[in-house]
Amino acid sequence: MSREAKKLGVFLCKCGTNIAGFVDLDSVQASLTKRPDVAFVSTHNLMCSPEGRKFVEETIAKHHPDQVLVAACSPKMHEQTFRDAAVRAGLNMGMVQIVNLREQCAWVTPDVKQATRKALTLISGAMARISHHQDLEARELECCSEIVIIGGGLAGIEAALMAANAGRKVVLIEKEVSLGGEVIKTEEVAPNMECAPCLLAPRLSAIRDHPNIQVVANAEVTDVLGFFGNFIVKVRAKARYVTKDCIGCEACFEACPTSVTSRFHLGLGTRKAIYTLFAGSVPAAAVIDREACRHFTHDSCKACAEACPFGAINFDDTDRDLEFQAGAVIVSTGHGTVDPSGIERLGYGKIDNVYTLAEFERLASSNGPCGGQILLKNGKQPTSLAVIQCVGSLSAEGVPYCSGTCCLWAGKIGHLARAKVPGMAVYNLHDRLVFEGPAGQAFYHHQIEGGTKYLHVKDLESIRLAQGPQGIHITATGMADLDVDMVVLVTGVTPPPGLDRLAEQLNIDRDAHGFLKPDHPVLHQAGTTLDGIYAVGGCVQPCDSGAAVTMAQAAVGDSLSKLVPGRKIQLEAMTSHIDKDVCAGCRMCVAVCPYKAISYDQQEHVCAVNEALCRGCGTCAATCPSGACTAKHFTDTQIYAEIGGVVHG
Amino acid sequence: MPAKKSSQAPGASHEPRQVAKAPQRTPVKPKIALYWCASCGGCEEAVVDLREKILDVVNQVDIVFWPCALDPKRADVEAMPDGSLAVALINGAIRSSEQEHMVRLLRQKAQLVVAFGACAWTGGIPALANLTSKTAIFKRSYLESPTVVNPQGVVPREEHVEDGHRLELPQLYETVYKLDDVIPVDYYLPGCPPTPELIATALGAIVSGQLPPRGSVLGPDKALCTDCPRNETKPDVFTIKDLKRIHEVQANPDECFLTQGILCMGPATRTGCGHQCINGNMPCTGCFGSVGDGDPAARMIAALGGVLEAEQEDDVRRMAGSLADPAGTFYRYSMSASLLGRQRDSKEVA
Amino acid sequence: MAEFEPTVVAFVCNWCSYAAADKAGGQRLPYPSNVRLVRVMCSGRVDPQFVMDAFREGADGVMVLGCHPGDCHYRNGNMKALRRFRIFETLLAQLGIEPERFRLDWVGAGEAERLQAVTTSFTESVRAMGPLTLTGSVDREVA
Repeated sequence: MSREAKKLGVFLCKCGTNIAGFVDLDSVQASLTKRPDVAFVSTHNLMCSPEGRKFVEETIAKHHPDQVLVAACSPKMHEQTFRDAAVRAGLNMGMVQIVNLREQCAWVTPDVKQATRKALTLISGAMARISHHQDLEARELECCSEIVIIGGGLAGIEAALMAANAGRKVVLIEKEVSLGGEVIKTEEVAPNMECAPCLLAPRLSAIRDHPNIQVVANAEVTDVLGFFGNFIVKVRAKARYVTKDCIGCEACFEACPTSVTSRFHLGLGTRKAIYTLFAGSVPAAAVIDREACRHFTHDSCKACAEACPFGAINFDDTDRDLEFQAGAVIVSTGHGTVDPSGIERLGYGKIDNVYTLAEFERLASSNGPCGGQILLKNGKQPTSLAVIQCVGSLSAEGVPYCSGTCCLWAGKIGHLARAKVPGMAVYNLHDRLVFEGPAGQAFYHHQIEGGTKYLHVKDLESIRLAQGPQGIHITATGMADLDVDMVVLVTGVTPPPGLDRLAEQLNIDRDAHGFLKPDHPVLHQAGTTLDGIYAVGGCVQPCDSGAAVTMAQAAVGDSLSKLVPGRKIQLEAMTSHIDKDVCAGCRMCVAVCPYKAISYDQQEHVCAVNEALCRGCGTCAATCPSGACTAKHFTDTQIYAEIGGVVHG
Repeated sequence: MPAKKSSQAPGASHEPRQVAKAPQRTPVKPKIALYWCASCGGCEEAVVDLREKILDVVNQVDIVFWPCALDPKRADVEAMPDGSLAVALINGAIRSSEQEHMVRLLRQKAQLVVAFGACAWTGGIPALANLTSKTAIFKRSYLESPTVVNPQGVVPREEHVEDGHRLELPQLYETVYKLDDVIPVDYYLPGCPPTPELIATALGAIVSGQLPPRGSVLGPDKALCTDCPRNETKPDVFTIKDLKRIHEVQANPDECFLTQGILCMGPATRTGCGHQCINGNMPCTGCFGSVGDGDPAARMIAALGGVLEAEQEDDVRRMAGSLADPAGTFYRYSMSASLLGRQRDSKEVA
Repeated sequence: MAEFEPTVVAFVCNWCSYAAADKAGGQRLPYPSNVRLVRVMCSGRVDPQFVMDAFREGADGVMVLGCHPGDCHYRNGNMKALRRFRIFETLLAQLGIEPERFRLDWVGAGEAERLQAVTTSFTESVRAMGPLTLTGSVDREVA
């Protein structure tokens, strides 16, 4: 095959004895030297060493080849090394091809003759391929260094502060009317049992006062476009009907004639149609629940406007569609839990005083419906409480996995209960227990010392609750019957509701259980399948608050290091390209691109690849029924040539 | 027309082509020949469909050989000087010794050879015989067909002596070939059959000498979707949940067939036909040939794989299995151009 | 008579099967030298024409080895490969080419032993089938 007068140089690395001991490199060199299309063959003992790299550079400078083959170890080891050496010597990086003679030849072929023959075959394939190589260009793009965070719970708050303190502009988007997530709904954070509102209060103040942070609450993401360094996040901010002049003085609450069930209190308490979640919330401004407010539903009630000393009520407020530019997006939308309503034997929703953990936390919280008093339905305080662990975990009744952190949360209950009602009898019904490390063990023992009785029930699904004359009657196989005033169900952790929609908007993958999939389970847990989009905390996997914050900090760290103001990001060089003159606009490529990198031009009726989004997988090139799409550096021509080379040797 | 590579398979070696000269500018009208090999006669019909325009054609060229319509015989062609024909328009696939002989003869006598229609370009419908064997074909045609009465089991033979006279029939080949398997071809006219418009344009180009590079296809170089009226109805991202055959559903005449789950070869087939099938609410079957080089079936298979909605192995196999006749579907007009050759059941092949 | 040595071409994806082959090298797990690996970034890049061309050039068996479903570095390129090649296999069967001469399989980045096992067993099964000879216009029966 004619090489069109391209001069090819071949480097053979002995790699000590790693290659030379298994492949007869002398005979390979002799064979190659005979070929008219090979300008030179140079051998070296250890080409990746500083001396070896210099040797490569100098040899290229001496012989001036147009292209070089480096037959050595796997390209995954040193493709970059030899590309860099060739580039320093004046070649384009696309003019270097590595032949894997070590991992995929010398080390797996015990017979020297076979190994040598295979080496020549692989080199032939590479020679045929490289004759069709084109220059590769590594392009760069200006990037935006701002960060959008979706989810204003503890992890989102910490991420926002860390990025803002580093000088980046941050937009913090929250679905609820104010920040705080799950943690603000609890009283104490395990394992050190720190007061949750006290933990959050200074963080919330810092967010409120930080010039770099913009909080957009009562809002949801509607679309995300673009790519790493250049995202556009579209948000719909729902009308609050209360302006920024509101400082949260709560004068309007008394005036408002309408009470409704409170979502914040998980249905266990009420609030007015104009409300904040708690005193000191960020944003401070109240919100009018349009569906409950009499001004909107009936007459034009203006009780709150009349009571407000600051004139902060605005009934003419409207939903707003906003757009934010960002270099990175961090998803910190928290988690959900298994709903125990479907588990008949536990009587949730039927038997009084059976609560989920989240509901119990509300009862125990000072910002809860009972002001922190744990009360039964009849208004009295309970004297005994049973905690049922692993409800809907490792079970067909819920999720098949262990959520890991709920043992910690279940252990917390006894502590909280005894703090409010000294001497309350607390029983934790469990099978497995998960308490990690010394801190976890210490916490567990502390609960036992405090009085929590851990009762081991081998078959948790045999637990049955019934309304008894003395409260709730609990039976289980192998356990003496138990009568308690209150039961708390600690349910398995699930992805948060609405995560599927968000994942689609962001075009990132979820795993088999619906959690967002990390980019790499070891090297990049906080990343997702798309560069620039990070996912942290409960939306990725069941985890406790500390782990969620750590992941958030990791995500911020990564984006701080990659998105430096003024620095450009390097784009993928081996992108795909669509020839407009051949493309018929059938859009099969658009349908297969995993990164939405291909778009259809309605005017010209052809498709085009956005080379900033393309990750170089080449699926579009294989799919195009017209052959209009080429995958750079893995073109049809190059691969056919390689096939021919390796088959014919 | 833009340059186009020939439809030879990658990696295959090319026979050296005869040097073809452009038609000479003499006061005498250029001579052309039309010939049919293994074909249905539809390409002849297409020429006739030029209707009045055929008068323009005969004003510009001299048709000196056209077995379907005119009287001249093989001996007349043999008598012509080499290269005296401006162009030979050859339709049909090659599957007999007579057809091979005739096309070699015409190659000798013509400056340009055009593979006219799908059969000559890629084998066409006759090439589906490459999925069976000559033995099986003879058995069916002459012995087992329901309407055959052949109690003595007579099958064609190449030679028969009767009354001292030796009678010969051409040998039927085991394999159906495309024209450029046998002789070097200068241009390809796509279609089953090519449209009269394409034929008129091609003849005009030949007469005026304004031809694209040797080996080009004389037709648009884009797939059918480019001017299909239903293309805009496709959403950007679509999947096919169930492959349906055209007779199984009432196709919506305003929606892309693929989005309805009906297999349409449009994305992998050249346009230029005026999408007559689409207008008749029938999906494209691929008669205008493929756009790119290489195997005609592979591209559509790859494209389909991209849009079938099936994630589990079972579903994938079920959907793949639902294609009743993959070769007949994807190679309907192009079995002779398959990179994998013909069916190779050694029990059947003689 | 020389014993038949099959020619096997295996398309391996950079992130999974190619990495597994490297790992097999690191662990010194030998497999037949008949197997020639052609690197692609993703099994989704493998066009059925590559497989056809490999057969046509003289390969007796061809493999496409990608990431396990759910593990594709590019999200789901392997699923596209799965779907197109299951259709391709039905075509092979119809053309009288033993479908066992083609194998689409999954080998994860850490599965060095699996890479060894899959390539070895495939080579042996192709050896038992004998050389592949394509017929028809491929071998130019006509003079």
